[in-house]
Amino acid sequence: MSDLRELDAEFARALRSLESRTKFAEALAQSDAGQEVTLDRRSVTPSREPRMRGAVLRAWGPGRWVEAATSSLNAEGIGKAASAVADALSKTDGGSTPPGPSSTLRQDWNERPARPMRDLGMEAMIAHARDAFGWATSVAGVHECQIRIGWTDEERFYMNTAGARCYQLLPKVFVGVVPVAMENGQVDYDYLGEGGVGGAERLGLLNEEKVRNHAQGSVELLKAKEPPTGRMAVVLDPGTTGTFAHESFGHGTEADQFVRDRSYLRPLLGSMLGPEFLTIVDAGSYPDGWGTIRFDDEGNPAQRTALVDHGRFVGALHDRETAAALHARPTGNARRSDFLSRLFVRMTNTYVEAGDWSLDDLVREAKDGVLLEHTTSGIEDPLGGQMQIKVKKGRLIEHGQLTSRVKSMALSGRVLDVLKDARGLSRQSDFEMGPGYCGKGHTDLLPVASGGTYLLSTAIVGPA
Amino acid sequence: MSAPRMDAATAFEVADRLHLAAPWEVFAERSRRYEIHLNGRSIELVRGPIFLEGYGIRIFRPAGEGTGEGFQASTDLSSEGIAATVADAEKVAAESSFPAKKVDLPAGPAGASNGVAICDTSLWDRPMERLQEYVDALLRPFDGLTDVDPSFGSVRATLTEATLANSAGLRLAYPHTTIWMELAVKASGGPEGRPPGEYWVNDSFRRLEPERAAGQVRDWCRIARDVRVATAPPTGELPVVLPASIVTTILPPVFAGRWTGRARLRELAPAIGSAWAGDSVTVVDDGRFPWGLGSSPSDDEGTPQRRRTLLDHGRVGELLYDARHAGAFGTGSSGNALRGRSSLYADWRRFLHSPSAVPTTIVIPPGDGGSDAEIAESAGDGIWVQQLGWAIPDPLSGAFGGEIRIGYRIRGGKLAEPVRGGTVGGVALAPAEHPSLLRDIASVGSTPALVENMSSPTLLVKNLTVAGAS
Repeated sequence: MSDLRELDAEFARALRSLESRTKFAEALAQSDAGQEVTLDRRSVTPSREPRMRGAVLRAWGPGRWVEAATSSLNAEGIGKAASAVADALSKTDGGSTPPGPSSTLRQDWNERPARPMRDLGMEAMIAHARDAFGWATSVAGVHECQIRIGWTDEERFYMNTAGARCYQLLPKVFVGVVPVAMENGQVDYDYLGEGGVGGAERLGLLNEEKVRNHAQGSVELLKAKEPPTGRMAVVLDPGTTGTFAHESFGHGTEADQFVRDRSYLRPLLGSMLGPEFLTIVDAGSYPDGWGTIRFDDEGNPAQRTALVDHGRFVGALHDRETAAALHARPTGNARRSDFLSRLFVRMTNTYVEAGDWSLDDLVREAKDGVLLEHTTSGIEDPLGGQMQIKVKKGRLIEHGQLTSRVKSMALSGRVLDVLKDARGLSRQSDFEMGPGYCGKGHTDLLPVASGGTYLLSTAIVGPA
Repeated sequence: MSAPRMDAATAFEVADRLHLAAPWEVFAERSRRYEIHLNGRSIELVRGPIFLEGYGIRIFRPAGEGTGEGFQASTDLSSEGIAATVADAEKVAAESSFPAKKVDLPAGPAGASNGVAICDTSLWDRPMERLQEYVDALLRPFDGLTDVDPSFGSVRATLTEATLANSAGLRLAYPHTTIWMELAVKASGGPEGRPPGEYWVNDSFRRLEPERAAGQVRDWCRIARDVRVATAPPTGELPVVLPASIVTTILPPVFAGRWTGRARLRELAPAIGSAWAGDSVTVVDDGRFPWGLGSSPSDDEGTPQRRRTLLDHGRVGELLYDARHAGAFGTGSSGNALRGRSSLYADWRRFLHSPSAVPTTIVIPPGDGGSDAEIAESAGDGIWVQQLGWAIPDPLSGAFGGEIRIGYRIRGGKLAEPVRGGTVGGVALAPAEHPSLLRDIASVGSTPALVENMSSPTLLVKNLTVAGAS
């Protein structure tokens, strides 16, 4: 099979076989192909994406979905999955239509970058990794460095009984550098991670200056002070601002949580929650993000959805069911981790749009506090409205100046308080989008991106 | 424990069709997965059986003065599919390099489950029925309650037949079960008009215990009510009590980062015999611990499981090796080669991953600190941490911490008002001259609890940094 579109006839046959039992059925095939190399001081470890592809069939019975999945993309495998769905449907009385509009999208996105990573070859990836390793370990005090370079061609093919038929092949590239500094048994490291849609040109992100800077950052962390403790002014770096948007608003606006009455934000829709300079967006259509998609797993096109528009909470993320329940339109956010996993409302690329301050001005305005840099993780609290963000490092802010380097820390706070206390965002020139993986609850990880510029507010900070 | 009937021989069938130079290995799984998803007190979605059968082929080839490792996984069991998988593995091996002159894969006769308790036989025989009974038990405690509800949740059970074959003649097969449970319990209503509170629980385990679950839910309802009235903790260096559910989120990833052959190869591992904790602290890794998530008769390379001493009265006992890293140091595998486990995530589809050395089930033996009430009494004035947002420790620096989602002040040796918000953190594990959780343990409780892949009693830590209202 050269690409998943060759399933066209099998999918059509499977969907036809279900039409007598349901008013709506859909089929989604998913496959990832790719390569990766991990290199450190003693080993070179290449790997390939597993040879695993599969499909999931879903149909609407009265009041609920029925679905079956298969990793056999042939007539027999797809036929068996369709039979399993048909068997489950036969236990229902059939005939009702599912909530929300069915996609009728018919379009292919077969994206080929000018320099596809698959043409680069493993040898060249290893050579890049060796260069980066050399740059990192040339910095005094850097004892070891792990380099990861890889690419994935994400492929999805969708058809339904309403006439939708769409295909996407999205080539994505990622790089990661972890220079490790060690002294007297104490170990610490900074890291560099980038990723998004594209080809070999993205390896330019892995340049000597950046790698050396991050290696130097690892050495600094060995000597860094403990972070300050308590409630204080905080300046979030662009990645941390993005994680703030993701954890605070992204998860809270996944509308399945509205329907479950599990979002602190639901009663606040339409209210001013932050300053006028604050706009938060989720956009699967963002051109080259790590969370970019062209259509979601219900066949709806990706789009830009404003969650907060100039301080006002205006929107939520929907699949067809939540859209129907809340009198909205699907936003292209219905996503499965893979063909084996169920569909949920999920984020794509979530970010805070830029403001008009400079970083220096934000630091001066903060007077005393801390700059938080290099997010390592975050977790939402969709009902309670708290959030936790952990960062690898920071800098003290004293008398309006950035001063000492401080070690890893956690930020905690009530989202609405952090928003209320937001005092400024830096300019577009600081804007960054970073790759990550997001769970629904603690499972079903899938690729997302988050971004923004420097943000000044107030929160609780402590070592972590 | 009677072992359920195994039908799968996937790895053996693939192995029989290989025409490969040694050494090679095939690890395969045939899994059935069943899921029930909740929306409030109703079932929102039932999924399953989801069938998945696949295998990973690993080969080792000479590469300069070392060894190249090639791995590829596939769900294609056709002859063409196996041939393509082998071709991928050969290409990867040719591109890889690793400083082991040779890798010895374990030999042995056909193996069985050897009495390690890792398979819930009633779940195996009646999966959806048992899952439904478990969900009923989770929901039953909410009957008659008007102020507490489940708002989000799922239970997902995976029943797996694992098979392993290698060029040294090993043929191994065993069944096991794993369950992932997630439940958000919401407390609302009431005369005081406060916003709702939530206690959001995630757990994974190997057997369904419906009655135990029902008892737990009653506790979770109480805690969710406490969330509504909780206030910010104080700021300062305070005695902190960590129950097993917190300890299990902190220590396994740190041992995985520093206590392994890979860390030793990168010169990041501690020296055997060096002091990394207080004299009273002994920590073992027990690959046969009953119902442990990391337990199995043999590891994922076929090396029989056993107990390993990680810290012996505060001093480093042994490091954890898979066959490859053991080969680099001319030692033997410790039986810690597991697949699909990282500090972030355990993949139920283990065949997709090449093995690496990680802890199996970490055990802190019970101490003389007594019951939880006695541990609180020993703390005097401090904080009991019931749940952190996400402790996720740094596997190399050992730094850990997170937001207190719910905890309790300890005043005069008794649990007092609930606290929420702010952070608690520190360093989990460090050379003994530096402060760390394991160096500064003041008391070890007497009742251990198995949570995921760690068994630990409640621990009292002399001082951790708490950031809260100030």
